[in-house]
Amino acid sequence: MTHFGPTVRQIRESLRAHDRRFSLRQVAYRIGVEPAYLSKIERGVAAPPSEATTVRLAKELDEDPDVFLALAGKVSSDLQEIIRKRPKLFAELIRELREAPDEAVFRIVRVVREGDW
Amino acid sequence: MITLERDRMTFRFPEVHPDAECGIEFQRTLRIPDDDRDYPLPAGLGRFPLRHVDDFADRLPGKTLHRGGVVMPMHQAEAMWVNFDAAWGSSYPCAVKVAAGKVCAVSGEPWSEHLAADPQNYLVVPNQPWLDGYCVEEGIIRQFVAMPLGEGYTAEEQLTGAAEHGGLQLSVCPMKREVYEKFFGDRFGVGEAIREVCYGPPVALSHEMGLAPGGRMRQEIYDDDYGVEAWDERHTSRCFVTIANSMQWLAITGERPPTDPPTARQYTDAGLPWFDYYDGDRKAISGSETLAGLKSVAATGREKRESPLPEDDPLGVSQIVRLGPAGERAVREYPAGRES
Repeated sequence: MTHFGPTVRQIRESLRAHDRRFSLRQVAYRIGVEPAYLSKIERGVAAPPSEATTVRLAKELDEDPDVFLALAGKVSSDLQEIIRKRPKLFAELIRELREAPDEAVFRIVRVVREGDW
Repeated sequence: MITLERDRMTFRFPEVHPDAECGIEFQRTLRIPDDDRDYPLPAGLGRFPLRHVDDFADRLPGKTLHRGGVVMPMHQAEAMWVNFDAAWGSSYPCAVKVAAGKVCAVSGEPWSEHLAADPQNYLVVPNQPWLDGYCVEEGIIRQFVAMPLGEGYTAEEQLTGAAEHGGLQLSVCPMKREVYEKFFGDRFGVGEAIREVCYGPPVALSHEMGLAPGGRMRQEIYDDDYGVEAWDERHTSRCFVTIANSMQWLAITGERPPTDPPTARQYTDAGLPWFDYYDGDRKAISGSETLAGLKSVAATGREKRESPLPEDDPLGVSQIVRLGPAGERAVREYPAGRES
């Protein structure tokens, strides 16, 4: 069992404490699934939903879609596409960075140049 | 360090604290009537696209490249608001300076590298969820409206007499780690257990865009509860946002700009909501006298015998949704626009 369902429930319930629009029923309708299905997902009875639904759910709860997909045991199709285009290079890069601290990863991520103004 | 992911900038300060992050995006919205009445907040209609200027080095003038940062498209007379978003569940406080044409949108003072307490020249995020315009009075802003530089409409031209910078300037300064730990302890967000790093021929910009003061809107800019000493100015990041008009954007990026937003009347006639935000626990700063003296786009247009704002008729607004800080993630977007 993944942590996906309980995490979704925890986040949704914390939002619902302040805003009734985050009831299970309303969230389910907004992401286009039946409330019973979302309930099963949250309880871990049903497997995490499709990539598209997982992304909609993440956006609805204002969470990072990539993190939600990872929790659901998936990798987004756009990332898969990036790897498929240059499999050797990206496989090597990811393996190299597997144990690297965040600071080291940040150093190779492209940053917005602050420039001179 | 600033990263750009899905049209949203994230300012990160891992050298200060692992949670020290601040997300900033620009929301499309309708332009409220510029008729000296006070309007509530309109919804966001999705993010403006943002691109690295470095991706278009062969198509942008040297001056624009020298400034670095990002470029975004705006139609002439289009409005926008700045959405401050504690990045993915983090709520690390940051002091954020916002200027247009290097004129501070909070104090009206010329851009300076440092935070100032009197007059306050920054916003405290996440206490301040949004900024829609120039702070002209306590509880009142004049909406940011894109206008071409060089025609006398922008705040920069009105206050400095020059059309030199245009665009939008941001700087973000995180709270000092020791102050954060004093106020918030070792607090972690809901998502902490699953935290990951998520990144996630020259076009003549002779008619660059700047931001001008539009219609009046009810929005409080909050006083800094922590005090100016709370911020770690050794670790400030800043960004210049170049604003390209629709044609320039297409020529620079090859992408079509977003479609025109609805007019205020179309928006209201469609029954879409307006918003009021109220945080009774916080004190609003008084508006800037300098900014209060700005002429709005409509007023400047009347002087110039021009009509810069099409469809600018007064509007009756009835459907107002009250938002407060209790929700912490107060959503001010029309649902259809959330998919950006």
